Amino acid sequence: MHIPDGYLGPYTYIALWIIMIPIWYYAGNKLGRELKSRQVPLLALAAAFSFVIMMFNVPIPGGSTGHAVGAAIIGIVLGPWAGVIAISVALVLQALMFGDGGITAIAANCFNMAVIMPFSGYYIYKFISGSAPLASSRRIIAAAVAGYVSLALAATSTGIMFGIQPLLHKSAEGVPLYMPYSLNITVPAMLLEHIFGFSILEAVITALIFVYIQKTDSSLLYGEKEMAIERKRKKGTTA
Amino acid sequence: MIPNWMNQADVQPCHCSTVRHGKKGFVGKTIDGILGFLDEAFLSETFSRRPGLLQSLDPRAKLVSILALIFATSLIGDLRVLVFIYALTLLLSYKSKIDIGFFVKRVWLFIPIFAGIIALPMVFNIFLPGDPLYIVAYLGAGAHLGPFSLPDNIFITRQGTMAAIIFTVRVAACVSAVVLLFLTTPQQILFKSLRTVGVPKIYVLTLQMAYRYIFLLMDMVREMYVAKKARTIRSRGIMDDQKWVGGRIGYTLVRSLSMSEKVHMAMMSRGFSGEVHIMQEFKMTNRDYLYGALAISISLVLVMISQNIIRV
Repeated sequence: MHIPDGYLGPYTYIALWIIMIPIWYYAGNKLGRELKSRQVPLLALAAAFSFVIMMFNVPIPGGSTGHAVGAAIIGIVLGPWAGVIAISVALVLQALMFGDGGITAIAANCFNMAVIMPFSGYYIYKFISGSAPLASSRRIIAAAVAGYVSLALAATSTGIMFGIQPLLHKSAEGVPLYMPYSLNITVPAMLLEHIFGFSILEAVITALIFVYIQKTDSSLLYGEKEMAIERKRKKGTTA
Repeated sequence: MIPNWMNQADVQPCHCSTVRHGKKGFVGKTIDGILGFLDEAFLSETFSRRPGLLQSLDPRAKLVSILALIFATSLIGDLRVLVFIYALTLLLSYKSKIDIGFFVKRVWLFIPIFAGIIALPMVFNIFLPGDPLYIVAYLGAGAHLGPFSLPDNIFITRQGTMAAIIFTVRVAACVSAVVLLFLTTPQQILFKSLRTVGVPKIYVLTLQMAYRYIFLLMDMVREMYVAKKARTIRSRGIMDDQKWVGGRIGYTLVRSLSMSEKVHMAMMSRGFSGEVHIMQEFKMTNRDYLYGALAISISLVLVMISQNIIRV
């Protein structure tokens, strides 16, 4: 999923930088207001976690192994805006320190994995879980669906970015300069690979992580601490 | 004062993991992955301390130069120019005392294998029509593969081969430039130099802290897997193992959040107020300006070539 340099032409990656810069700016301001001095340590540790989560190998049927991206669970636990910054920092580290993902493509990779995934993951989870109690199994299903759909969406978006390259960039001879395949190849290729493979694993892992947090400390989930205080206060006024 | 022997760095590459196992399950793969990660981090640290050309430049000049070069490379569509850029990165790696063999392997083995998989089908006329160069198979009229109809002949096209080579060399040239950047710059200094390209102070600090804590978390993960390996007699079902991994990721998440709380308190008790200060210890010399200007002018020429303002 990490797009290297040279896959996307300048129109695409520059457009994505133009999209991402205001998103980062807004996220930074919002978190600065909400977290104050806690911002740096919280985001640094969350970024380190986002980096490390991809190191956990998971057994999959057929004797092979895979790993989760984990962006949906980060969105669910930290909230989507903190997810944007934490995952972006992890992606910048991967690009700068290990050459994993391109420099020109940082904005494109951040858009797919640090914006689409935590946002879709968080809102799908919110939508399905509704007002179900924190310990309910409905929330586990919500987390699983969030993991599944968010990764499929990110894969589709990557496929679209690849697929528009031959439309945008061609040499004088009509030969494509960057990613050569058109949308009718890239989107199905990315989508099929994910909806029958990686997304299933993502769903399982997201659900399992969610179960663990549910059992140990569900107040960690984004917005739950404030909601618990709110509930207590309401109870206090009625009693 | 730091004694002299503490400042001396071992400039030979070191390998943390020398033990090789046979067939590996997910536990062995994770442990190997983490050791490989540490290996690579230490290796780039040793290269960045060697007395070479790029190491001696101011990190800001180096960062801007390499970013300009990558940007220009991403625009180029001419094979000769791309080969020139790739040769330039090889020359720079030689001048920076990075073993060429290691450098080439690092670039070609890791990343563009994926590029090769994408580039290979491009050479056939199934995806890109063009002039035949070599006929692979004659299928006859009306051949099809599932729902897709195939052309009468399958051949390798001249245009497709050219496009595939250009694509692969461009990816390799860009990757080489980034690899040069991080092999010749100590991490903490690289992060600080990001200030020059407009990254806010608060993110420079976040990057620096995240980088440090990655090692702590990695070690924690390695210990979990080693502990599991040490206690495993017979592997359980996939479901149980997946549950175990999910729980361990959850635990790592809970741990990192509680750690961030503690780190925050420790920072506050030492006078942190949310205001970020970063020590500026770089000094640009005339030599840095010269190299920076040289790299930027090369990049400008490359951009002009790509826009057909200069013809080669």
